[in-house]
Amino acid sequence: MKRKRIIRAVCSVLVVVSTLFMLQKLLLPKYVSDVVEGRLIAEYYAEEKDHDVIFIGDCEVYENFSPKILWEDYGINSYIRGSAQQLIWQSYYLLEDTLRYEKPKVVVFNVLALKYNEPQSEAYNRMSLEGMRWSMAKVKAIQASMTDEEHFLDYVFPILRYHSRWSSLKAEDVEYLFADRKVSHNGYYMRVDVKPAKDVPEGKMLADYRFGENAYRYLDKMTKLCRDNGIELVLVKAPSLYPYWYDEWEQQIEDYARQNGLLYINFLELAEETGLDYNSDTYDGGLHLNLSGAEKITAYLGQVLRDEYHLADRRPEERLSRIWADKAAAYEQDRKRQEEEMEKQ
Amino acid sequence: MKRKVWISSIMITAALCGCGSGVKTIEGDVAVKETSAQAQEKEQTEAAPEEAEDAAAAEDTAQYSGYAFTYDGTVIGMDMDAAPVVEQLGEPDSYFEAPSCAFEGIDKVYTYGSFELDTYPTDDKDYVSSVVFKDDTITTTEGVGIGDPEDKVVEAYGSGWTEEDGMRVYEKDGMKLCFILENDTVASIEYRSTAVEQ
Repeated sequence: MKRKRIIRAVCSVLVVVSTLFMLQKLLLPKYVSDVVEGRLIAEYYAEEKDHDVIFIGDCEVYENFSPKILWEDYGINSYIRGSAQQLIWQSYYLLEDTLRYEKPKVVVFNVLALKYNEPQSEAYNRMSLEGMRWSMAKVKAIQASMTDEEHFLDYVFPILRYHSRWSSLKAEDVEYLFADRKVSHNGYYMRVDVKPAKDVPEGKMLADYRFGENAYRYLDKMTKLCRDNGIELVLVKAPSLYPYWYDEWEQQIEDYARQNGLLYINFLELAEETGLDYNSDTYDGGLHLNLSGAEKITAYLGQVLRDEYHLADRRPEERLSRIWADKAAAYEQDRKRQEEEMEKQ
Repeated sequence: MKRKVWISSIMITAALCGCGSGVKTIEGDVAVKETSAQAQEKEQTEAAPEEAEDAAAAEDTAQYSGYAFTYDGTVIGMDMDAAPVVEQLGEPDSYFEAPSCAFEGIDKVYTYGSFELDTYPTDDKDYVSSVVFKDDTITTTEGVGIGDPEDKVVEAYGSGWTEEDGMRVYEKDGMKLCFILENDTVASIEYRSTAVEQ
């Protein structure tokens, strides 16, 4: 009799927990038909983790560099752990998270994020943090990222945050309840359309051009983490024309790189060397590069990585080559689909 | 027992789903605070679209109580509907669109020689997010321009300012008037909405 009661009680708890779990899965945004960038961080975990190069940073990495080119031209196996408005502490903890699975030879970090010294926006936090698997790195990333209005518990139980989505659920919320859909090519978000850069505004005057202490603290942590793990840290400024990149910011990064013995590449100054044309290589007027632009600057970066760090050409590795053949096919298919869509318009 | 389990499941589900449908969701546009003026305008627009829109635009200026910038008779206040303002100002010298990363919606930058007007999108409409002075040929409505001494700022706006990121900030009715001073002289002037500061 007593045993029966215990079984019943356990079953009851299971039913309640399962109901809540299913409900939470249903209510979570799926980031499929729009704001697909919300899926980028989670996609990494399905990968084979044997990368030579890991990119971390904001949209200036996931829209401007193409890992497929690094593979095809140099045999470098790379992945972009980028997300929209990824703040530097999120980049740092994503790097810690990555090191739980693999140890790349080189980490490439885009420095625009240094302009932010404190938490900015819940919407962007969610896109960077929700896709992370649970670990101390994720816990610390959440704690470092939360705005005043956010609560840690809402990240642990997202149903507390998303319960109001019940009235705006779509068919895709059911379709992708357990299914996955890839939105990137090793973290690269492809766009093939063209919108020339024109009338890009100058930066507004700032009272203080120094990067904040908190931002510097995480850059120091990132430098140390890479050093402690024998990883080469490369700082880059992607060639995005907006937001404006101030000379004063450039000077600080150059100084930091020199003081810490890091390689720093500012692609804004390399248009001639990379062959970048702002009339044809950007899809949104100079904020992000399109496929053509991303392939140009990645080809340049690949050469630097190969020459500076002597990264081996892994194309002879049969298994990796097969994986990349499938990835390249998906990449070309995506390119073709987008080009066909453009032609229809 | 079974019944209890089902009742508690249903109650939890109902409690979680039934409340707070007004809470902002993450999907969609970048979340910006809806100002009371925008909320009121939205209500009017929903009630009777065309006339309400005209009336709302006309009332915008009358109801605005923050610091406003006036240029050639056009009053520009923060969080005002940008469409009538841009129409009154005429063709800009240059125009730039900055789509936000990931989300729908475009921030717009209109440059009119001496100043820059920025807008942000909310619910298919653009609102004024900032006005930035580009040179010393214009002044604020209270008569302060780039190159003026610090005393003139205090004379016009008083001493009720706060320091923010090295700027002198006068806050009024949900907007900010920001001055950058260099060697006791005004080096930069910016009107800024607080709706986009998050």
